[in-house]
Amino acid sequence: MKKFLSDPILGVIILLLLVGGVASFTVDVFFTLQNFTNFLSGSYFVMLLAMGMTVVLISGGIDLSIGAVMALCAGIVAKLALQGMSVPLVIVCALAVGAFVGCLNGLLVTVVGLPDFIATLAMSAFATGILFIWTKGTPIVGYMDETYKQIGGLAPIYRGVTVPMVTAIVIAFALGAMLKKTKFGVHLFSVGSNRLATRQSGINVTKIRILAYVISGVCAALSGIIMAGRNTTVPPDLGGGYEVLAIAAALIGGASLMGGRGRILGAILGEVVLAMTINIINLLGVPSSYQKIFIGGILLLAVLVNQFVISLRTKILMRSTNKKS
Amino acid sequence: MSAPLAFSPTESAPVILDIRQISKSYQGVAALENANLQVRKGEIHAVLGGNGAGKSTLIGILSGVTQPDSGEFLLEGSALAPRNPRDAIKSGITTIYQELSLVPALTTLENIFLGRELIIERAGMKVLLDRKKMKNEVIELAQIFGISKDELDIPISEFGALKKKVIEIVKALTFDARILILDEPTSGLEEEERLHLFDHMRNLRSRGVGLIWVTHHLDELHGLADVATIFRDGRTLESLNLANSTVEEITNLMFGIQFNEAGLRTKTNRLQKDDASSKPEVLSLHEVSRASVLRDISFSLHAGEIIGISGLAGAGRTELARVIMGLDNRTSGQIFLMGKEVKFKSSASAYKAGIAMLPEDRKQLGIISGLSVAENISISNLQSVSKFGFIISRKKERELATKYKEILSIRTPSVNQKINNLSGGSQQKAIVARCLNSNPSILIIDEPTQGVDVAAKTEVHELIRDFISKGGAAIVIASEIQELLELSHEILVLRNGSIVGRIENVQESKEKSRIVQIKSEVLALSAGKRSKNEI
Amino acid sequence: MKFKNFFFRSVSITGIPIFGLLIFIVALFQFIVPIFNATVGDYITNLVPVLLLTVGAAIVIIGGSIDLSIGTVCGLSAGITMWTLASGLPTALSILLGIATGAFFGLLNGFIITKFGINDFIATLATLNISGGLLIVLSQATDLYGAESEFFTSLVYGSFFGIPTSFFIAGAIILLMQFLLLKTILGRRIFAMGNSGAAANVAGINVRNVKLATFVLSGTLAGCAGVLLAARLGGVQAFLGLGYEFTAIAGAVVGGVSLAGGRGSAAAALAGGLFIGTLAQGLQLIGVEPIFFGIVSGLALIIGVIFDQKIQDIGQLRSRFDSRVLAQPPRKEGDHG
Repeated sequence: MKKFLSDPILGVIILLLLVGGVASFTVDVFFTLQNFTNFLSGSYFVMLLAMGMTVVLISGGIDLSIGAVMALCAGIVAKLALQGMSVPLVIVCALAVGAFVGCLNGLLVTVVGLPDFIATLAMSAFATGILFIWTKGTPIVGYMDETYKQIGGLAPIYRGVTVPMVTAIVIAFALGAMLKKTKFGVHLFSVGSNRLATRQSGINVTKIRILAYVISGVCAALSGIIMAGRNTTVPPDLGGGYEVLAIAAALIGGASLMGGRGRILGAILGEVVLAMTINIINLLGVPSSYQKIFIGGILLLAVLVNQFVISLRTKILMRSTNKKS
Repeated sequence: MSAPLAFSPTESAPVILDIRQISKSYQGVAALENANLQVRKGEIHAVLGGNGAGKSTLIGILSGVTQPDSGEFLLEGSALAPRNPRDAIKSGITTIYQELSLVPALTTLENIFLGRELIIERAGMKVLLDRKKMKNEVIELAQIFGISKDELDIPISEFGALKKKVIEIVKALTFDARILILDEPTSGLEEEERLHLFDHMRNLRSRGVGLIWVTHHLDELHGLADVATIFRDGRTLESLNLANSTVEEITNLMFGIQFNEAGLRTKTNRLQKDDASSKPEVLSLHEVSRASVLRDISFSLHAGEIIGISGLAGAGRTELARVIMGLDNRTSGQIFLMGKEVKFKSSASAYKAGIAMLPEDRKQLGIISGLSVAENISISNLQSVSKFGFIISRKKERELATKYKEILSIRTPSVNQKINNLSGGSQQKAIVARCLNSNPSILIIDEPTQGVDVAAKTEVHELIRDFISKGGAAIVIASEIQELLELSHEILVLRNGSIVGRIENVQESKEKSRIVQIKSEVLALSAGKRSKNEI
Repeated sequence: MKFKNFFFRSVSITGIPIFGLLIFIVALFQFIVPIFNATVGDYITNLVPVLLLTVGAAIVIIGGSIDLSIGTVCGLSAGITMWTLASGLPTALSILLGIATGAFFGLLNGFIITKFGINDFIATLATLNISGGLLIVLSQATDLYGAESEFFTSLVYGSFFGIPTSFFIAGAIILLMQFLLLKTILGRRIFAMGNSGAAANVAGINVRNVKLATFVLSGTLAGCAGVLLAARLGGVQAFLGLGYEFTAIAGAVVGGVSLAGGRGSAAAALAGGLFIGTLAQGLQLIGVEPIFFGIVSGLALIIGVIFDQKIQDIGQLRSRFDSRVLAQPPRKEGDHG
């Protein structure tokens, strides 16, 4: 029982039930397969962002550039596709850019020693700036074809299965296994929990932190590739605000801003909760201009729930350790 | 992870660590000068000395944090020159510091194997952790030191201070440590936990490990340490065989000053306490509780009185101080200040009402680093250095700080010096100055002399007594029962958040037998071996 | 005499390098693009709102926190001011409401952070979205332009003895903030809190209240900035203010306000803000595309932080040496019983 309560997953599950409960009371259309597939289809690429964010959070950092990098990679996909480059090559290029930016973030935070949110905030400005220059202020169009439709999830590859869905599932398994079963996973938690002790154990902390940012950069790139297909155009302001969703999803899923905590499954469920909430708001007829306001509110709620669960856990532990001593 | 050896250290045991003529200077100032020390196999070797005497520098060199300017040291005959801590550990010297060097989020097993995890090799790929194998390797050793099989998979953030220290020891042993350096290992541990730790140290001794034990608790040495080397001003003065020396001799060597057995200056001030009923009651607690941390605390404090608070870690002593100070809420009960009920929402209100606190953790909660000494002193009562009530007068501030600097003998070239540059003792005195500047009627002092050398320790005690003699009242929290005996009129023993014992008239008699009686009574009550009792 | 001390203290905290650098690049640009001098009045006028934001950012950062919402709050304040003005409310009231909007969000931020203990940049990230969202909704619901008020426009376009009115207004506000930080009890508490919040809490400072105060100050300054911005622009669009917080924080850091907290001043923020603004103007005159400004700010920010850390390292090295010397207790003659 104690182990269950201390698992960060608990917070998400509570929230999931909460939101589901609210939905059942307020909106009838919610519990239909059509609706589910609808809002889920739009959430896969955010799940990827949330997973990347979770990895960075576990390592004790934060990546505020994840939205801008997603947009940048989407822009790269569009531009290269327009120039006639083959799809596999385009994907490789986009991933490379994502990894590169991640590497830069990592270097700024480790070697240069900048605080993580400043470094990634700056990188976000850079990426947005570059995209702006490319798009020259107008959206990139004309690159869409059947393949990109599938990549974006607008067309399924087999029955109800889409590329974004598969990508999210595969990455989830890969990252989840990495965190639990590999040496690197243990080291990620270690760095986030006590950086100094980790360094003293001879582990290359710099390498681990940089790799965490590279992972998030690659996740952003994957997300951008999907986005290019899904959005059908790449406007200059694409990606604005997605890092907020990614952070909210990760926090709802049990990650901590302090580092050393987090779960991939949590990130996925966290995004599901977010997508559900936004879906409910839309179904209730609230105009989309209000969305930003709600996202802000949800972020606050996510943190509060997270904190509540942690304090609950501490209280329970305190009681049991008091009995021991 | 070798089999345990039964070993009794005698002078014929081989020397495994031979430190020869090590010197180290920092920017022209000698921190160590021709230090010499030998540690034998299975020996507990105490390292003593005041602040800045060179102990930390030597440990730094042995653990590879820094390199000596000259001299060398040999482990089992071969010269070592570790370039970093990892080198030192691999060579067989592990240091266990006061600060935790484990990772809270990781399990015991993950902590022990951090940086050298065992990997399953499958189809030529080395990716997955081999948790089973790692467990099998350490399970026996862990159990010898009281760690159960289940506890190997629990994140260490769930454990208390003693268990964490033990895990560090087990981890060191898995590195086949020949020399284990323990830097103030009992800090953060309570009397009963200390005794457990001493058992573990004896266990290590019997396994043939050489222990270097850095401590300033001279009373802990007897019966445990075989040899002591005394540092002073960067030199190693003498290595004493502890069976033949007294505490007096040791302190004499450490400081060149005469101290009596209790660690006090020979000329002690007799602590006078007038009849309690003649002095007004300044503070009283009535069944104060805070969730599960404090339960029905009731006591009253009078002017001119010092109440000492004792107990194990987690007993609620610091928590009690925080509740009185308004830093934490109480869930029930009342607090009366000068007869009127008070409910403080923050420390600001407590200070305004006349209570000041010296916190336990000086580094994090005491000094405001980055600010000067003068700024640290004025901070709790900025009105005292203000003009028109809201503007700060730097002139007034400087004068105030200089005044306290002289009265309290704070060692600093100027009051505008950044406070982090001062020694522990001087920092402590600066915080005392800060407290006194707010004109309190009550002083709460949590560990008055932690990390302070013996000379400054006495000065701090005198400051407290001086405050009392002028009509103030104090609550002193200390882990060292000896310290409480020297200062308090009455001692309260806490256990699990409740008062389990009150010892009155502590100062009535200085007879050794009485002191021993009180000490053992406090220990027993803290551990819960007796029911509530009054002496 | 006292004022002289105050002045020198201000400059020393500012970081003389930045003033020097500022003068240097002004000279440089003047040399490269001779019309630079003539544009100074213009671009500084345009810069005034951001300068106020920079000072607000500095106050919060000195207190050990960060406020990411100042940009959007500024935009929203501008929107509210414009809206009330266009709706026919008296000018003075509109200005007050604009400032009050800023103060309100400052209060909201402070409340969320102190009462609920939510991490400061998450909380302000949330209010960034909330205030930004509110402006979007507002801009869609009604017209945010067409206000007829001479007094209002004169705030920015009027002048005394050739110096634009907004200079005086901003100058007075910044001077007030500098005084508050360096000379008042509240200012001292802000520095203490930024240096070590936990120790300040134990030492009798009501950290919650002081932290709340820093956010209210930064919010109010954002409100003032919004009013001046509305006066200059004449019309407010949906995404106004987005991104300003980045420039403001970059300006504060470049000027010498340490992100670690406990170091800096309003003058430092002013210098840094002027520096970045001047840099942007100079680059623009040279012919560099304005889009690069975000990149320039980013670079300036990174360089500023590195520089600040170097200063801290040097400071620590010195103190390490001092402490070694001081740690030896001096032997006192005859000091034993």
